[in-house]
Amino acid sequence: MSILLNRETRVLVQGITGRSGRTQTQWMLDYGTNIVAGVTPGKGGEVVQGIPVYDTVAEAVERQGAEASVFFVPPPAVKEAAFQTIDAGIGLIVMVTEHTPVHDVMEIKEYANDKEIQIIGPTSPGVITPGEAKMGIMPGNMFTPGRIGVISRSGTLSYEISINLATGGFGQSTVVGIGADPVVFTNMPELLRLFQRDLETDLIVIVGEVGGVQEEKAAEFIDRWITKPVVAYITGFNSPEEKRMGHAGAIIRGDGKGTPQSKTAALNEVGVDVARYPAQVVDLVLKHLTPD
Amino acid sequence: MRLYEFEGIELLRREGIAVLDYALANTPEEAREKAQDIGLPVVLKAQVLTGGRSLAGGVEAAESLDEVQKAASRILASTIKGLPVHRILVAPRVKRAREFYLGITVDDYYGSPLAVLSTEGGVSIEGVARVHPEMVISRHVPAIKGILPDAQQMAGEAGLHGEELVQVATILRSLYSIFGKYDALVAEINPLVRTSEGNYVALDAKIEIDDSSLYRHTDLNLDMENRISNPLEKKGREIGVSYLELDGDIAIIASGAGLGMASMDIVSRSMRPANFLETGGAITEDLLYKVMDLVLQKEGVRGLFINVYGGINPIHEGARGIVRYMRDHDVTIPIVAKALGNHQEETWEIFRQHGVQVVTDVSTEKGVEQLARLMEKQE
Repeated sequence: MSILLNRETRVLVQGITGRSGRTQTQWMLDYGTNIVAGVTPGKGGEVVQGIPVYDTVAEAVERQGAEASVFFVPPPAVKEAAFQTIDAGIGLIVMVTEHTPVHDVMEIKEYANDKEIQIIGPTSPGVITPGEAKMGIMPGNMFTPGRIGVISRSGTLSYEISINLATGGFGQSTVVGIGADPVVFTNMPELLRLFQRDLETDLIVIVGEVGGVQEEKAAEFIDRWITKPVVAYITGFNSPEEKRMGHAGAIIRGDGKGTPQSKTAALNEVGVDVARYPAQVVDLVLKHLTPD
Repeated sequence: MRLYEFEGIELLRREGIAVLDYALANTPEEAREKAQDIGLPVVLKAQVLTGGRSLAGGVEAAESLDEVQKAASRILASTIKGLPVHRILVAPRVKRAREFYLGITVDDYYGSPLAVLSTEGGVSIEGVARVHPEMVISRHVPAIKGILPDAQQMAGEAGLHGEELVQVATILRSLYSIFGKYDALVAEINPLVRTSEGNYVALDAKIEIDDSSLYRHTDLNLDMENRISNPLEKKGREIGVSYLELDGDIAIIASGAGLGMASMDIVSRSMRPANFLETGGAITEDLLYKVMDLVLQKEGVRGLFINVYGGINPIHEGARGIVRYMRDHDVTIPIVAKALGNHQEETWEIFRQHGVQVVTDVSTEKGVEQLARLMEKQE
């Protein structure tokens, strides 16, 4: 089975009554996601796209057995919602919310530290197990069931890479957008570990970009622990220094770290081929696998 | 968002950290007057939103009023990393018995605040860490718990004793509370000095505040727009998109940052991008109308590449804004649009009806090649 999510996973949508929450709930249901409840404090008793809405996460867990939650919660409410969700015993949060204050993210991370929970994001496009279920905003028609695990910092590039893989004959086991913020709850190595263990994943694709050290840390981890083939794509070669490239996490600090060059070098050093342009990923995958 | 040094100093003052009595000057004459009030010798410091000022000639000491005026003219006429200097800070020069570095940053990967203390202040802390790592005491601080249990211990590890340990640890604690209170990504004092009179004074403040938190710091009255010197980038900020001006002639509109960077990389193979632009996840018809106006405002733009995904974004609505702008402004430059995801067919239809070439191939490379061919035909 894929990682993190499958067609049986009982999904809760937090912030279900907002504009994005409503629209995306419908897309997720259309895709086959097993959405069992929604939560918006103060809107308990409403029904959105046929899904019952509760005031608290604890109630959604008790009444509907929710086990994973996708966040469309507005940034100022994220911290409280996350604390509540962690306490309610939910095992997976996918945080789609953009622009959550970094200090709130750090506090949530500390709060979740000794709990049995995996949090993806924030600013994540979501998690999708093609053909089964999706939590997030990923357009379903860009993904195809198959045996490649994808870990991406960018949302849109996770779509671009997946549709290109599919066109080249390679579907995906699970695609995870780790989130585009400087601090994310789940770093690349943790997801590499999950894909390494997953019997339905034969190869892992990493999609990286300027800024931070995710790709460098991934390279260290691959060297020590990953036996499955890994290929990568890194973007941002034309980004000017000290300019934030849209994503809060995509900035070259001017100390020579976090550049696409340093990331490519770190990955190459541990035997990971890095594509220079998105569609090239397919050529690199072909070195290891034959198309589905 | 980065604060000017003097804004940072005010936050330190509010938190009870001793700072110098300084004045700001916009002209060399004003600098002279302020220096006279403050008393010689003084230090003049360019107020610009970038680091590395000293190396770029943005910091000068002056012993006489004539020297003040000359140095101020030099600094005000200079640019530091491309930024013009409009304002200088004039501060008394102090006799330093000892200098310290105090900093709190966010360790992105670890996901936690990181406190750093060193008795090697006044120089680049990265440099100290490279040559004398043992002189740099650093510690991850639990975000909820705070620095209380660690501040004095860190000072002790840095080799401080007695009164000095207590003083420096107290200032480190105050700096940490600034870091927390104002959602800082960086809060740094370099240097904190012990003066020859035995006072502890912060001579500098570098503070950067998390943009995502600005909604809860409106009391600081920080106007983001006025910190952006490029007029197009300023306009991008106003309409709510990320825009960076580049020196080419092919405009780019992308619906995500990663996709925008990839588009730039690919356009750069055969042509030159005029900008980076990503819409974020709030596309409406109206937003893309404004985005068209923004990217086409740059002089010399000869072609446009549109690269959008319908995930969170209703791209069919965005397409309506684009074609409405083309109609209203009689846009005739070559435009190629790649649009995939939810509502893709509807989006293609809208583009095609208005003469925008639609890429149906799934790769951005193919889309850019299509635009390059169109551009060649134009010539």
